[in-house]
Amino acid sequence: MMRWYNVVLFYLWIAPHLLLAVIGVLLLIRRLYTSFPVFFLYTCYELAEFILLFAIRVIGNNQRTLYAHVFIVTLAISTAIRFGVIQEVFNNVFREHGQVDAIGRVSLRWTTGFLLAAAVLCAIASGPAPGGLIAGVAWIARGVAIVQCGLVLFLFLFSGLFGLSLQSYVFGIALGFGVLSSVELANAAIGAGQLTESMARALNLISTGGYHVVVLLWLGYLVAPERKLLQPIDVPVDELDRWNRELERFLP
Amino acid sequence: MSVTLVYVAIAFFIAALLVYLAARRGRDALAIDEARVLMGSLDIEAFRNLVDPGEEAFLRSSLPPDQFRTIKRERAWAAFAYVRTLSDIALEFSHFGHAARLSPDPQLAELGRQIVAGAIRLRLDALKASGRLLVAATLPDLPQRCPHSLFEQYACSTGLLLSYSTLDRARKRPS
Repeated sequence: MMRWYNVVLFYLWIAPHLLLAVIGVLLLIRRLYTSFPVFFLYTCYELAEFILLFAIRVIGNNQRTLYAHVFIVTLAISTAIRFGVIQEVFNNVFREHGQVDAIGRVSLRWTTGFLLAAAVLCAIASGPAPGGLIAGVAWIARGVAIVQCGLVLFLFLFSGLFGLSLQSYVFGIALGFGVLSSVELANAAIGAGQLTESMARALNLISTGGYHVVVLLWLGYLVAPERKLLQPIDVPVDELDRWNRELERFLP
Repeated sequence: MSVTLVYVAIAFFIAALLVYLAARRGRDALAIDEARVLMGSLDIEAFRNLVDPGEEAFLRSSLPPDQFRTIKRERAWAAFAYVRTLSDIALEFSHFGHAARLSPDPQLAELGRQIVAGAIRLRLDALKASGRLLVAATLPDLPQRCPHSLFEQYACSTGLLLSYSTLDRARKRPS
């Protein structure tokens, strides 16, 4: 049982990063790094982080303390870059729409403030930070995940409110980060909680599997030919006539 | 442990919500029929009458205060329903404009861009008007302002759509 679990966990650790390398290459080949520089940076960074942690784990004779410290530092940087990617997605969605852009920025600031307050309240409500370095970090990561989940939800709801279409890549990146943030929230909650070992293992598998799904989602959006969510319209002439008659009613 | 499970449940709920929203956005295809039906259901003159400050002044002067407040509330709710319809129409216009922007014809694509900008302004105006009407329904004694910009923006948006469909029709007509 343990062997099976370890094999699956190892696969879920390695495979998404190999796929991330493919994503990085695709971003380079299609010159998408010019439109999404922060996402490209995130891809490269996640790869470098994986290589470093994997090396410590495999070559470094399982040095737990070193691994923990490197993990925390790299996680902090990764979290900062993720905020950058979310900002990049916002810029991509709203830059063409001047009026909404201004309202979007103000609303984004308020939403971020509200989410920060919610994260702090959740932290206070769930009691003091648990003992242990990793559990303490997970406690903070849980708050960060709440903010990131909320921001992506806000993006989807706000752009939907004004019927803004999302370009295919932006849509894929945003959706991926939303799911990733919710996976991180589950992961951080598991890390901060006092679960039984078997339950923690089961939930850990789901959250690492979630990361794999997110990477597959990004890859899917990159591999599929760039399409818009809305197709060019081709309205039949009869329909245009009916449409015109309806419109003419409203003109002064 | 129970707190952890609550967080995990919230996380999965958010993930499911995002997937649902994404799937719904994917289906947000253009629905010309829907837009036409919505426009057909909108009696713009009746709506204009409901938010006319002159009408309100007349009702205020000729009705007892209690009756005026009741009537004002009913009028505000009726106007609110119209604004919601206008808001839905703006959303359909926006979808239409986004789709039109992808037209290979540069003139149609430019009109599509203008339709999107107009639809966004219309949606914003509708949101503002909704807020004012909610205030009017709650506090009927306060004087009401006519949402002129909403009517102007609607006329502007319909004008743009008419230009689009006239041009599109001309291009499709066999020479």
